[in-house]
Amino acid sequence: MGIEVVTLLIVLALLGLMAFGIPLGVTTLTVSVATSLIYFGPKGLFLVASNVYHVLEKYELVAVPFFVFMANVLERSGIARALFDSMSILGGRARGSVAVQTCVVAVILAAMSGIMGGEIVMLGLIALPQMLRLGYDRNLSIGIICAAGALATLIPPSVVMIVYGLAAQVSITKLFAGGVIPGLILAAIFVGYILIRCRLNPSLAPINDAPEAALPLRQRLKYLKGAVLPFILIGAVLGMIYSGITTVTEAAAMGAVGAMIIAIILKQFSYRMIRDAMRQTVLTVGSIIWLVLGAVSLVGIYNLIGGISFLRGVLEGLDLPPLAVIAVMMGIVMILGTFLEWIAIIFITVPIFAPVVVGLGFDPIWFGVLFAMNIQIYYLSPPFGPACFFLKSVAPEGVELQHIFRAVLPFIGLQIIGMLLVLFFPQLALWLPNLLFN
Amino acid sequence: AQELRVQSSFNSGDYAYQYLQEHWAPKLEEMTDGDLSINIMATGAVVPYKETPDAVAMGLLDGDLTAPSYFTGRNPAFAILGDLTAGYDSPQQLLDFCREGGGEAALQTALDTIADGQIHVVGCGPYKREALVAAVPIRSVADLKGIKIRSPEGLAADVFQRAGATPVNLPFSEVFTALQQGVVEAADASAYVNNDASGLNDIAKYPIYPGIHSMASQQFTLNQDLWESLSDEDQQALHEWFYAAFEDLAKAVHEQDEKLVARDKAKGDITVIDWPQAERDKFREIARQAWSDYAKKSPEAQAALQANLDYMKKIGLMKGDGDSASQ
Amino acid sequence: MRLLSRLAAGMDRLSAFIGYGCAVLFFVCILLSAFEVVMRYVFNAPTQWTFETVMAVCATSWVLASGYVTQRRRHIAITMIELVVPASVWRKMELVAMVVAVFALAALVWAAWEPALMSMHGPERSGSSFNPPLPAYLKPMLVVGAILYILQLLSNIIHWFEGPSTGAAVSAGSDHQFADNANHANRERDV
Ligand code: NA
Ligand code: NA
Repeated sequence: MGIEVVTLLIVLALLGLMAFGIPLGVTTLTVSVATSLIYFGPKGLFLVASNVYHVLEKYELVAVPFFVFMANVLERSGIARALFDSMSILGGRARGSVAVQTCVVAVILAAMSGIMGGEIVMLGLIALPQMLRLGYDRNLSIGIICAAGALATLIPPSVVMIVYGLAAQVSITKLFAGGVIPGLILAAIFVGYILIRCRLNPSLAPINDAPEAALPLRQRLKYLKGAVLPFILIGAVLGMIYSGITTVTEAAAMGAVGAMIIAIILKQFSYRMIRDAMRQTVLTVGSIIWLVLGAVSLVGIYNLIGGISFLRGVLEGLDLPPLAVIAVMMGIVMILGTFLEWIAIIFITVPIFAPVVVGLGFDPIWFGVLFAMNIQIYYLSPPFGPACFFLKSVAPEGVELQHIFRAVLPFIGLQIIGMLLVLFFPQLALWLPNLLFN
Repeated sequence: AQELRVQSSFNSGDYAYQYLQEHWAPKLEEMTDGDLSINIMATGAVVPYKETPDAVAMGLLDGDLTAPSYFTGRNPAFAILGDLTAGYDSPQQLLDFCREGGGEAALQTALDTIADGQIHVVGCGPYKREALVAAVPIRSVADLKGIKIRSPEGLAADVFQRAGATPVNLPFSEVFTALQQGVVEAADASAYVNNDASGLNDIAKYPIYPGIHSMASQQFTLNQDLWESLSDEDQQALHEWFYAAFEDLAKAVHEQDEKLVARDKAKGDITVIDWPQAERDKFREIARQAWSDYAKKSPEAQAALQANLDYMKKIGLMKGDGDSASQ
Repeated sequence: MRLLSRLAAGMDRLSAFIGYGCAVLFFVCILLSAFEVVMRYVFNAPTQWTFETVMAVCATSWVLASGYVTQRRRHIAITMIELVVPASVWRKMELVAMVVAVFALAALVWAAWEPALMSMHGPERSGSSFNPPLPAYLKPMLVVGAILYILQLLSNIIHWFEGPSTGAAVSAGSDHQFADNANHANRERDV
């Protein structure tokens, strides 16, 4: 049986098991176990065990429970509610203002989080219930949170860029710099999309009809007090990262401590609140981790049975102009992104792509930024769309995975538009790193 | 040709990886008259980087081309064999130790303690000398005092601590932001060419080159059954191939390092620091104490250090009696 | 059947109990990380042990939460088909899903068993300067987590045979809905 047939069978098995309603971690685990048993017999299970175990030693995942706990405390102590009330009043009678402000908050959070999971879960806990409460359309709200939350990957710091930079041996500092402008462009595209959609269909975003919202801007500013403490918290966490007091992961822990301090200041702190926030954190993080645990071993098995050689053959068989080769690579990443985990995608594609990109005379920094943008698409794209899973792990009752999948589709389109912009105008990614480092 | 599937410790974009793939992977087929070819895979491609011995012993991988220091947690001997901090001056010296000075035998003994005779050492040795990444000027042992330096590994952290620095245990994923923002002031990383590629020198502008601390060794092993199934000629060819490849690679990496250092010196925004020999000797003396304490942790470590010391004495690197291992 | 039901109820309580313990562990992680920041930044004396300790404590919490997550039916799955097929068919699919999960996790236990035993020989350490026996601790922990997952799945299977569609009510549980005590969870299941 050829590797192309096996590839197809693996994809079909994953899709079939997923459709059956089997938890996604179990789905990938089942396929990994079956493939390794078929190819290598019982000893092949070592491929599964060793890769699964390795997840437990991934320090960057430690930040996830910190962010989740921080968000839980902010949500349970009423701080999130006060923040969004303030934002809603500040936005006045502009349609869609809270959605736009959520995008802005997402960009700020992206600058303090290196991993997408932490940010999505935070926005899912804080922003989603509030947007629904304020009457925003469910699909629009979900889509914004998943898409804007994924910006954590593109706006530095970014663990994806670090892993990519190490694998491809390109400058991680330049990758960080390269991601800033495309990240802001994407955020602007999201904002534009929100405003256009709300203009075309006013039912998506109600106008705040509270009397305060009708006041002139200067008088509305005094209602900002609900936003003061959260922004001091965000400012403090960002300050700790960028002044060298803490590493990125430690900053997340300090944020969790800060959230508890705010709860104390607002007299919302209680044993019960902390206990419930902690237990909720366990459920959220536990479901995320067992998902990751299942997904990690497939790549090792796939590599060993010749997956890399197969893809290299596909690429070498192409007779296309250089930019089209890059487009094909992006297409491959996008397809792999629908069913594989991101580290797996990097392991499979970077060894093949990186030399080709340099050989064609392209700037590897530009390609790295494109790659990170593509990983954002991977986060959203069903069926294996981690952003959707992470949001599901904290979503209010009644929000099912299929609703989330439907909600993110238009935003995947927007992400592709952003990626095409950077593909055709490399200066969007290269201008800032060249300015800073050359 | 029979394909050897070998997992390495290289990142796929590493200069050394590209160089081996381009120049040396094809040569194995020539050198074995078409009997063997080699598929060198990047780090973590099949199993996590610490798990290759088990995968090789089981025959899932045909071999590994990786850093023995990864297995320090299983036997302290791997720390001594993997990277004798501040030990040798050039990769060639350590390659010679492996080939002729008992290095291979010491490594085989250490691997036998964890893999039950299922792994065969084909060769070992380094291909690069690491440059130390630093965000502040460090020109002497005295300057190390109070420096927060990222150094997760046992022996290196111990040496830095003895020299007065403050080792900080950070995962590599945190190093970039930590160095950029000043959480740490220095970090162990890789060869100058790699540090240049990943942008470390852009954020930490006082690299120490040639490095003072690390010259990580690599091991080339094959599954024992597979090894025994090969003809004597092919076994010999594999051995020759490894040393020829690594000597050539070491030369190529050194040339790249020199070229980039010359470029950065000419440009002037990066200050490349070269320690005077007296300071290097002082640092090696400090390291020697750390080695001998560390070697007490296992009999294999003790034997590995003694083999090193004997060889260093023979080639004149070690002044004095050189048997500090037994102190 | 009654014995099985009681065993299943006991497993539910055990999973919840371990889950609550995991919550405490996360809290410990936060405090330890904050402690390290203070030691390094204020006292200029970073420790060599917090980073790996935090990792070990966090990882313990992740793997051991498996039973709790399974008991609350919070594992992430695509349930789109539920809207397409009749309720009775969906109910049978739920059982199949649980049985498949039991087999997959049993394979994981089988796979992780020997590496776990091997790691305790020695014991295998991390190799850092603090050099804790991290692998020798975490590899067996993975096995324990997978076993807890299986036991809770078996308990859920018993509940499946006890009566229809007890899962859906619990699975949706948002944070406010379950006030996070075992009684409440039991009440939901009895609906
Ligand atoms: Na970020
Ligand atoms: Na996806």
